Amino acid sequence: MTDMFSRDAPTVGRKMFTESTMAASNTAWDAASAAGAVVRTGEEDGLWLLTRYDAIADAFRDWESFSSQRTDPEIAAITVSNSRMPLTVPQELDPPDWQPIRRVLSSLLKPVSSEAMRPQVRQWVDRYVDRIVGEGRCDFVTDLAVPVPMSVTMEWLGFPEEEWQPFASVFHEIAGYPPGHPVREAATVRFPDVYKACRREVEARRVQPRDDAISAFAAHRIEGELVEVDTLAHLVLQVMGGGVDTTTSVTTAALVHLGRDRALRERLRDNPSLWATAADEFLRIYPPARTFARTVTADTEVAGCPIHNGDRVVLSIVAANRDERAFERPERCEIERFPNRHLTFGMGIHRCPGSHLARIMLVEMIQCVLRRMPDYELLEDEIVEYPNWGGVGGWAHVPATFTPRH
Amino acid sequence: MKIRVDMTRCTGHAQCAAQAPDLYILDDFGNSAADGIEVSPDQVDAARAGATACPERAIELEGDE
Repeated sequence: MTDMFSRDAPTVGRKMFTESTMAASNTAWDAASAAGAVVRTGEEDGLWLLTRYDAIADAFRDWESFSSQRTDPEIAAITVSNSRMPLTVPQELDPPDWQPIRRVLSSLLKPVSSEAMRPQVRQWVDRYVDRIVGEGRCDFVTDLAVPVPMSVTMEWLGFPEEEWQPFASVFHEIAGYPPGHPVREAATVRFPDVYKACRREVEARRVQPRDDAISAFAAHRIEGELVEVDTLAHLVLQVMGGGVDTTTSVTTAALVHLGRDRALRERLRDNPSLWATAADEFLRIYPPARTFARTVTADTEVAGCPIHNGDRVVLSIVAANRDERAFERPERCEIERFPNRHLTFGMGIHRCPGSHLARIMLVEMIQCVLRRMPDYELLEDEIVEYPNWGGVGGWAHVPATFTPRH
Repeated sequence: MKIRVDMTRCTGHAQCAAQAPDLYILDDFGNSAADGIEVSPDQVDAARAGATACPERAIELEGDE
């Protein structure tokens, strides 16, 4: 590539991070993609944005050049907002530290282990749907899409039930609101309590193991040695953050989508085998985690642009999943799309280890709604999106009415 | 025909196994354990679907036309 091309990447601003609706944020990403394969936000923060599927997938895989490790121990390394957050382990570790922690998560959440949790997932789904099915009205977010992943995740970890809601809400509120927003700031203040509880549970399981994931973490050995309690507490935090609000977001998105497309809803209800591909199409179109950040560790070049050691690069899941070079007619929801190698779960070593369980929860929740509340109608005027679509997107409220059943 | 898995690329998406669980077996961490497995003629379509599904492009079918 000549200097003419490599000197300056187009500047596109940071609207994709600050727009308060999904549609507006997506439009801003489309504009960024149209401007170039590699673009910059602008002078104030000088982030590099990658907009092409191939380059983003390659950057995810190349963990040596695109590091997830923190440079400032207080500041989150893999989110765009540069906010103060407790360390999440193992996603903010590079090898070799990453591997032994990742192995315990992978082994507990591999497909066969996740599949074994399906009956428990179903029980939670039915329990929460039982509470609303006779009412004729519900809020899909607060009545279903928040409590199911929260209950599954917190029960799996082994937390006492009275702490599920207050802890899960911390993640829900931080994900949903931009830095500086009062809801987010109030939730951030509660983070140390969540962390302390994670430590407390790990220490308790060291003494008295139970049949839960925290016990497995507590007993995990690396080269014969137990892992430090602090490291495990950060791992527990990671599982909460990864498990609680992400599945919520894509499930809500799918329920909104099917609320607006009755023909597709009936097709899915009558042909459950379509879920083999439909789940990934919803995941492609509605990625909960919309961006990840990486720190460049050596001078490199992406699509002809020189990127320097220490620069921050944003890997856009949204742009990758909407890249027409990777997906035919990316703007269309095609539930039989195959292959569907979307980047919603990431790529490379930090690929979401909960992806198998997430798919199970997503499909179980929606199938149950289609079965037990098949005629639901969205109350469009009362739908409230999160104001933050920069990192993790989602909805605060999606009310619906339906014929009550007893 | 033989399955070849680049284990430097496999990170356990398990989309191969979602297509063809009997062929694309997984290890204790959910990563592929299918490298070197022979594909019989009646498994060719399933093998191809599993290879195509891999988001990491880690799977090749040796001897496939």
